[in-house]
Amino acid sequence: MSSFTKSAQQWATFARSWFLIDARMQPPGKIATMCSVRLQGKHKPIYHALSDCGDHVVVMNTRHIAFSGNKWEQKVYSSHTGYPGGFKQVTAAQLHHKDPKAIIKLAVYGMLPRNLHRRTMMQRLHLFPDDVLPDDILENLTEELPQPRVIPRKLSEYTQEERDAFPMLWTPPEDYRMK
Amino acid sequence: MASGYLVGRGVTALGIHLQHVGRNVLLTQTREKKRWMKAYTSLMERKMKLDGPPPPKPRSHQPNWDYHAEVQAFSSRLHENFSLELLKTAFVNPCYVRSEEESRRKLGLDSEAAALSLRDNTELRGRGLEFTHSFLSDWCRGNFPNLPAEAVTALVGHLTSPAVMCHVARNLAVEDLTLSSQFPVPDDVLRATFFAVVEALRESSGDESTGLFLRDFLVPELIGKDLFEVWSVVNPMGLLVEELSRRKQPLPEPRLIRSAGASTVLPLYFVGLYSDKKLLAEGPGETVLAAEEEAARVALRKLYGYTENRRPWDFSPLRQQPAPAVRALQST
Repeated sequence: MSSFTKSAQQWATFARSWFLIDARMQPPGKIATMCSVRLQGKHKPIYHALSDCGDHVVVMNTRHIAFSGNKWEQKVYSSHTGYPGGFKQVTAAQLHHKDPKAIIKLAVYGMLPRNLHRRTMMQRLHLFPDDVLPDDILENLTEELPQPRVIPRKLSEYTQEERDAFPMLWTPPEDYRMK
Repeated sequence: MASGYLVGRGVTALGIHLQHVGRNVLLTQTREKKRWMKAYTSLMERKMKLDGPPPPKPRSHQPNWDYHAEVQAFSSRLHENFSLELLKTAFVNPCYVRSEEESRRKLGLDSEAAALSLRDNTELRGRGLEFTHSFLSDWCRGNFPNLPAEAVTALVGHLTSPAVMCHVARNLAVEDLTLSSQFPVPDDVLRATFFAVVEALRESSGDESTGLFLRDFLVPELIGKDLFEVWSVVNPMGLLVEELSRRKQPLPEPRLIRSAGASTVLPLYFVGLYSDKKLLAEGPGETVLAAEEEAARVALRKLYGYTENRRPWDFSPLRQQPAPAVRALQST
């Protein structure tokens, strides 16, 4: 930006970055929008659909994503094998059990533009079910993106002092029996 | 049509439009389609393809040329007050004088009659070169007080190089007015003529005016150029260490700031240089070493004040000082 040599400036502008996203306790839809924006290159001012300016995105802990509501039981993923009687419908929970990467993969695939660049962009998406990443991917990473959802703390994660310091709505009398 | 037969290639009584088909062939244009035109033009095109394009002709050999008027126009176009005699002398090159005398001798005139009474621009060009160098060096040092001497020499050398000066001279129509033995005018001759013109201006209007002329026409050739495009530095890190030790600041330590795709074929590294734990500059590169060198160059640009976000140079016109009011002498 500030007074680089022209060739160095150009190299830096057109280089491909590697982003890391931790999907633990995150809604897969929000993770997928972040991925699709960066895979297309729409986060860059030099974006053009034909420029091939997308970056790599590595998503870890895809096994620990968190759907809101009852989507684990109610969201249905359909597919057809092509053969008669081959229409398959599985719930999100069943699909996730079979393949922990599939939900994020299908979400990102659906959010990318429906053209021939989509398959190339999907190749630049790297999904890992846990936080164990191979060394060559770890070397390539540039930065970690902040998580889209603030994870609420469980009651067990509060210390006793914080629990005591929490304001009581009403003080029960001495002989009040709590269940 | 009957009128078509009466009208030939000759003159018509109705509006005459002349067309030069050759030097001695004049045609008047008539409305009818000419059967011979296509054959003629195709023949000329074939001839042009065989012989190549015609050689360039100097402007003085083309029609509508009045040397005196052109020299006056040159002076007023630049809004400068040239003494026309000096300016005309500045355009005369020694090679022109020599070639003219030779051609006169070949025509049979003896050596006395062959000698031209034209003075050439040899002294003018020497003084012009000196003045240009000194003015440009002063200008550089004034605008960039931290720049070292080699950088100033490199900048001035770039501005007075044949390529840049000939570009400026050609666009100011100096090439059309020069008298030289060859056409197109060779670069060194054109450059020397430009120096002579500068000196003619200096002797007509003074140092200040000439300084402004050089500032307005030569200095903009530096716009958009980076310092290290003009001044080639082989070891920027060594130079940076020297600069910092001269300013009594701690030596720079390189640290990797960012990297992308380190194990791919197109890696990117950002290396920052820290002096006493404070960031001096950071630079990108294909390898860690290239990035470190780039960071050193950025640091040098910052130290010398030759960054892209520096204050732009002042090209405002010289404000004329109001003449001091003359107080009338009181008569007793």
